[in-house]
Amino acid sequence: MTTRAFRQLHLPKGLGLNLVVLLVLVLLVAAPLLTILMQTLDPDRIGAWRDVLASPLSPNLFWRPAANTMILGFGVAIGCILIGGFLAWLVVMTDMPYRGLIGFLATLPFMIPSFATALAWGTVFRNGRVGGGGGLLEGIGINVPDALAWGMIPTMIVLIAHYYALAFTVIAAALATVNGDLVEAAQMTGASRKRVLFGIVLPVVMPAIIAGGSLCFAAAVSNFAAPALLGLPVRMQTLSTRLFGMIEIGQVERGYVLAILLIVISAVFLAFGNRILSGRRSFATISGKGGRARRFALGGARLPLTAIALLICLLTTIMPIILLIAASLAPMASALFSDWTLHFWIGATDPAFARGQAGVLNNPQLLRALALTMGLGAVVALIANVIGILIAVALTRHRLRGISEAVSQLSFLPMLLPGIAFGAAYIALYGAPIGPLPALYGTSTLLSLALTAAMLPFAVQTGRATVAQISGDIDEAARLTGAGFFRRIGAITLPLASRGLIASLLLCFVNVISDLAIVVLLYTPTTPLLSVLSYRYASDGFHQFANAVTLVILAISTLAAGLAALLRGRNRPWLSS
Amino acid sequence: MITLDNLGKTFGTAMAVQDVSLSVPEGAFLVLLGPSGCGKTTILRMLAGLEHPTAGVIRFDDKIIADAARGFTLEPGRRDAGLVFQSYALWPHMSVAGNVAWPLRVAGLSRDEQRARVAEALEMLGVAGLAARYPGEISGGQQQRVAIARMIAPRPKVLLFDEPLSNLDATLRVEMRTELLRVHRATKATAVYVTHDQIEAMTMATHVAVLNGGRVEQFDTPERLLSDPASAFVARFIGTPPANLIPVQDGAWFGTLPCPALPGANGHGMVRAEDLMMADAPGPDAVAAQLVEVVPMAGRRLVTGMVQGQRLTAVTDAAHPIPADLHFRLPPTPSAVFDAEGRRLS
Amino acid sequence: MMRTVLFSLCLSLPLANAALAQDLDTMTAADLLPLAQTEGSVTVYAFTSRIGRVEEAFEAAYPGIDMIGFDMSSTEMIARLRSEASAGIANADVIYVSDAPVVLTELLDSGLMAPYVPPRIADALPDSAKSPLLQQRLSTKVLMYNEESYPDGAPVSNLWELTQPEWNGRVMMVDPLQRGDYLDLMTEIVLRADEMAVAYEAAFGEEITLDDGIADAGRQFIVDLFANDVVLFGSTDDVNVAIGATGQEAAPIGFTSYSDRRDNEDEGWALQVANDVTPSNGIVFPALLALNPEAPNPAAARLAMDFLMGDDSDTGGDGFAPFYVAGDWATRTDITPHPDAIPLADFNGWQIDPQQTATIRAEVADLILQVQ
Repeated sequence: MTTRAFRQLHLPKGLGLNLVVLLVLVLLVAAPLLTILMQTLDPDRIGAWRDVLASPLSPNLFWRPAANTMILGFGVAIGCILIGGFLAWLVVMTDMPYRGLIGFLATLPFMIPSFATALAWGTVFRNGRVGGGGGLLEGIGINVPDALAWGMIPTMIVLIAHYYALAFTVIAAALATVNGDLVEAAQMTGASRKRVLFGIVLPVVMPAIIAGGSLCFAAAVSNFAAPALLGLPVRMQTLSTRLFGMIEIGQVERGYVLAILLIVISAVFLAFGNRILSGRRSFATISGKGGRARRFALGGARLPLTAIALLICLLTTIMPIILLIAASLAPMASALFSDWTLHFWIGATDPAFARGQAGVLNNPQLLRALALTMGLGAVVALIANVIGILIAVALTRHRLRGISEAVSQLSFLPMLLPGIAFGAAYIALYGAPIGPLPALYGTSTLLSLALTAAMLPFAVQTGRATVAQISGDIDEAARLTGAGFFRRIGAITLPLASRGLIASLLLCFVNVISDLAIVVLLYTPTTPLLSVLSYRYASDGFHQFANAVTLVILAISTLAAGLAALLRGRNRPWLSS
Repeated sequence: MITLDNLGKTFGTAMAVQDVSLSVPEGAFLVLLGPSGCGKTTILRMLAGLEHPTAGVIRFDDKIIADAARGFTLEPGRRDAGLVFQSYALWPHMSVAGNVAWPLRVAGLSRDEQRARVAEALEMLGVAGLAARYPGEISGGQQQRVAIARMIAPRPKVLLFDEPLSNLDATLRVEMRTELLRVHRATKATAVYVTHDQIEAMTMATHVAVLNGGRVEQFDTPERLLSDPASAFVARFIGTPPANLIPVQDGAWFGTLPCPALPGANGHGMVRAEDLMMADAPGPDAVAAQLVEVVPMAGRRLVTGMVQGQRLTAVTDAAHPIPADLHFRLPPTPSAVFDAEGRRLS
Repeated sequence: MMRTVLFSLCLSLPLANAALAQDLDTMTAADLLPLAQTEGSVTVYAFTSRIGRVEEAFEAAYPGIDMIGFDMSSTEMIARLRSEASAGIANADVIYVSDAPVVLTELLDSGLMAPYVPPRIADALPDSAKSPLLQQRLSTKVLMYNEESYPDGAPVSNLWELTQPEWNGRVMMVDPLQRGDYLDLMTEIVLRADEMAVAYEAAFGEEITLDDGIADAGRQFIVDLFANDVVLFGSTDDVNVAIGATGQEAAPIGFTSYSDRRDNEDEGWALQVANDVTPSNGIVFPALLALNPEAPNPAAARLAMDFLMGDDSDTGGDGFAPFYVAGDWATRTDITPHPDAIPLADFNGWQIDPQQTATIRAEVADLILQVQ
């Protein structure tokens, strides 16, 4: 026996891979979070824990916002699964007309900033509580109760309208890989369509449903814009608005404590979902022979269901976009559809108009920001997905007790962390020089690192759902040929996972270019970004300009989505008949 | 009884199945045999109700279950038929018992009845011990048995098999053949079985339909396919080893060795392996061959040689020495003669 | 880019010694100019986008010196300055910031900012505007109403009216726990508890009775205001729309910036300040100008601050033009007040004392947290 063989006996398979991804995650995720945690444990600041958890302040500072956050998270997750899943089923598994169009539209809401969707809601539903004249409904004489105009219900609806695209993307990708034989086998028994759907299809795509639900849950609990716009007027606070406020008024320690608690609570709930997802080895459904997809004939329900699907898409994509466009053309926010002018887009400086601001296309910063944003989006999407696939492979193929749990949890953590806290953590850790390493403050490297970490949950979750459905034999078959690990990933896993991967790349790219929360603390004059530009316009009251820049972001996102759709092109079996 | 009348199926402009007519009695074991793409799976799926015929009529007993002219097809679940998929299509989220029980639940059987039927089906297939396991946790052979148990539990009158053994290893395949025949006999149902493996067809079928390019080349018993192939295609496809089809030009084997029984014929003469002899020298009826392989088989030997780029196989006694300078001696009369288009001449 | 920053940092380090800085502090703009031109650029962190217009004016006035304006919220700027300091990087030369209570107690005290008063205008400034940091102008968070809805003037003449049923659910402001300047407003009300007590008597003819655990009339006002269903928003603009949008029959009232009135025409608002309010209509607070003690361009930094304070004309000229609006007041006594605005002397708002605000700001935040 050689020494080498001896060693192989004792080192578990995949240990190296597991350790590598663990190290990456520690550097990208754990270290910045620990920095925040250590700051709250500083003797001068440790009192913040008591303030938050056990003081007269606690109910308003923590418990009520926490309860609101959980209600919002679960409500949004369930709503997104229902709507996203419903649309995914229609697009992938039925003979509904316009499947391509609806499949495309259903990915758009996520690219529209959630504040635009919230704005759209306000435009229609706002009522007298906030003065300023009512919304469209009050305009035609319909009285809107506070509950529908402000607080939990509208926030939840707006977030569902925003995030169902996440659930749609993940569930549609999974549905497309469901072996058609499984459905036919069920049809052979004489089961009704409904029964096949609920008895077979849904349980089989359960991993994707849980993954999609988890994404939506995590996104909802850390969303800031919607609860801030729609919740505040009735004083509904969530942990994220509370935490933003605490950082904003300088009570940083309390903010950090809230961030840590938000992470802990959400992690408990999500660990539950993770357990279900990883505990079931029975989900290897792609066999070597791809089953042909079988479409349900919708029969008489075809037209009504198509109408509902189109309506959902129109309400959640076209309407916010129209309002954004109007808001970038109308001089007065209170009269969105009158006196339109292109000044905010192409105008030259005119002291008598818009306080002398030139149109966004005349802003030399726009081009630089555009280039930097796109580059950053592409780089981050690529890196995050490479890491994401490695993690997904480590988690599904080489599970190791202890390490795998840590990897799984760490890879999901950034999702729970409000962007502004994440930015603060990154500055705290990597802003200053560490040993021989230079300070990264003000470099695009720091931006890339933080954004990569922030995108990991997306990359890992979609990667896992995809890799989990490629049966181990296929990989093992390749291993028998003597192909090395990276060769197998490149030749086997990646091509089979390409559909999920493209979806994930797209999600990351779009996420990066529209992200504001994380970059708002990390950007510098040398690293201008589109979202920051939009934010700066907005915070100075130049809403039309801000909306114009947002539309530029949206246009790029839509182009990216269209390109991805084109790349997948005829390779989308769920769209071919 | 299953009857197909002028059955046809087109996908877009592609004709997958054309003008297929055949009938088998109740309790028969019909094998649809042919190379991939010959339309056999499409026929099976039309029998199952998963595809709708574009021409013709399907009857189970006297009942019309699909009639293209009237645009009528009976729902798959109402045909009293069960299907075993090539991929087995076990539902991964249900246990073995759950898989078998689900069709019974859909059929609305009582709980006790379900339990009894599941136990009976699993027992019959010898997988009762796996009831609580999940499909991902059992072997391919076991999955196959579970898939069959799932099919028979509702006691269908028609059993449909889509290349069910193709994913199994050779030993298991032989074992499962026996198993399937036993199940078939026990259920007394009519079976339709799709395969590209002629050995499966010959060992299991009461009736075989050999398909090629969407059409039936020959519909017959296994014995008659062997003894009396209707076309060169069938002759090449059937038999272990398959018969040699030797080119004939102007009444001469390979255009060079005149055969008195084939005056002026052009096409192929069929010579079974047992009719082909070895020789050690050229002669008026012997051609030189280059030895390719020798396969011992059941006390005898298959000797294969190349003659003018074509493989010829002879069966010989195991004791018979193989000549150093191998020649094959052709019989005075071929078993059958096919024209250049593969049609049977005599 | 990184390298350029470090490079210029190295070049300028010798300049940063105290003696030289002393010299620079006493130099006139004309003396500073050649040094500043050698430095070539100056970076300004500003809390307002108006820095963009200053940039154009500055580069026109001093060709060859590139002003890099960079606008961000005060909170963000404070976080950024801290991070930069701990990273050993000096990006900014000039810091133009509001949020005085935080800035003065946390940034100035920990040496992240340094005071500088351009000698040219020192005499035109009251002492309070020169120390501890230079104040460039004064802004407000005050009670505003809709002049179209209330053509006869402000519907409120005493702050305590806001706690009455008539205004239930009809007082608008930004969440003081999300915006520092609104927290400063609440804090000032507590600091002026005595005046609030007097105002209570004036309003209701009886002495104020305090709830259990409430120490004074200022705190009581906050409790009552929140109990009266004050409506909170995330941004000042939402408040402006709520109060100011035209076409409202009985518009709500609320706290926002006096200077936002300048947007009435652009935005379709009818905002007007309620000045005649007992004991006060809100707060007046400074915008601060300071040097980065590690400024890579110390001479250009001083030149830029001099420019930002305005030239010797009546209105402060191009450098001050972006800030010469009704509702903001120059701290320089020699700049003529904006003709459309109430002069500072007649304005009823409380001028905050940042140091004092800082002492109880967190405590007031906790109070709001409890009653919210």
